[in-house]
Amino acid sequence: MDRLSRKFLRARKIPGTACSGCGLGQVHKRILLAIEGLGLGKDDLVWGTGIGCAGRQTFNTWLGDNFAGTHGRVYALAAGLRMALPRERRIVLTVGDGDAFGIGLKHLLNCARRNLDLTVIVADNLGFQSTGGQYGPTTPPGAVTDSSPYGLDEAGWLGPDLDILEILRAAGATFLARHLSLDGQGSVESVKAAILNPGFSLVHFIYPCVTHFGAVSLAERDKGRVLAWFREAFGDGPGEPGGGAGEGPGPRVGTGFLKFGRGVFHSAPGSRPDYSEQVKDWTRKMARGQGGGLATGNTP
Amino acid sequence: MAHDFEISLDFEACKGCGYCLEVCPGNVFDPGGVHNGKGYRPPVAARPGDCLGCQGCFMACPDFCLEVLRAPGKG
Repeated sequence: MDRLSRKFLRARKIPGTACSGCGLGQVHKRILLAIEGLGLGKDDLVWGTGIGCAGRQTFNTWLGDNFAGTHGRVYALAAGLRMALPRERRIVLTVGDGDAFGIGLKHLLNCARRNLDLTVIVADNLGFQSTGGQYGPTTPPGAVTDSSPYGLDEAGWLGPDLDILEILRAAGATFLARHLSLDGQGSVESVKAAILNPGFSLVHFIYPCVTHFGAVSLAERDKGRVLAWFREAFGDGPGEPGGGAGEGPGPRVGTGFLKFGRGVFHSAPGSRPDYSEQVKDWTRKMARGQGGGLATGNTP
Repeated sequence: MAHDFEISLDFEACKGCGYCLEVCPGNVFDPGGVHNGKGYRPPVAARPGDCLGCQGCFMACPDFCLEVLRAPGKG
């Protein structure tokens, strides 16, 4: 264990269950660096996890309070917690792409609509990898996976003209960012800003899966080459997106779908009220016998 | 020779992904030849004197088993 994990994580859970070469730990590390940078401790933050690679790797690792949701439902649980806990108690959720943008998308959108003060970290390995490598809502078009043996022929949330972050912005999220799990201090700063934003925040991290996406979609088992493909495909390299995994059969994915900008995508702290604070205000008024309608601030 | 930085590697926690070798601009690491208890071969910090202290390997290590420390007496 390193200094960071000794400070914040349970020793018996580290190293985690992730495959060798899985980039989830890189995402995990950036969250901890952000927490450390903000001077927060184990009692300042409650950590929730979803289901899948991301949930399993981070489940119950935090030294403070943890909770786990069923698949795609951790946002609903967090919404209840948000209304029960004081604002000073931060809530961070680590979930996967299938959890957030697939089965749990409606819950996620409702949290964004209410601008609940939650920090959602989506660790995206471009498919359902913990169940064997089926395609998911962010799998690149054309990708060969266990469930798309002839290449994925449906549009995903990471298309050139269809971006899940645009949808979340339209739904009312007040902080959105996107990074590759290998990004440096800039990604830590994004997580810090997400935690500090008094509303709904989401940081989308794309990270390498060697075992399934690498082996099947990229036809590449060398971890260094899989990592190189991710770095090139997501903007580090000058090459054509979708290429560059090295020798061998080459990537079995389409082209023209990646090369996203990385960094802060949308930041509007304080532009919308946090519904949980309104509920708390209203409850206090009711308790004092000063009932009346719930002034939402959301109505024109 | 005294080094500015020391590489601390938790041999048993390492899963041998080799990302530290991939990202190191100073060619500090060599592939390892010895298996740990899990069957992985952690890399070796063969040339710590070449370490620039950039923390790239620390940021790339997904298993919380590697860190770059200031060498004693180097501030």
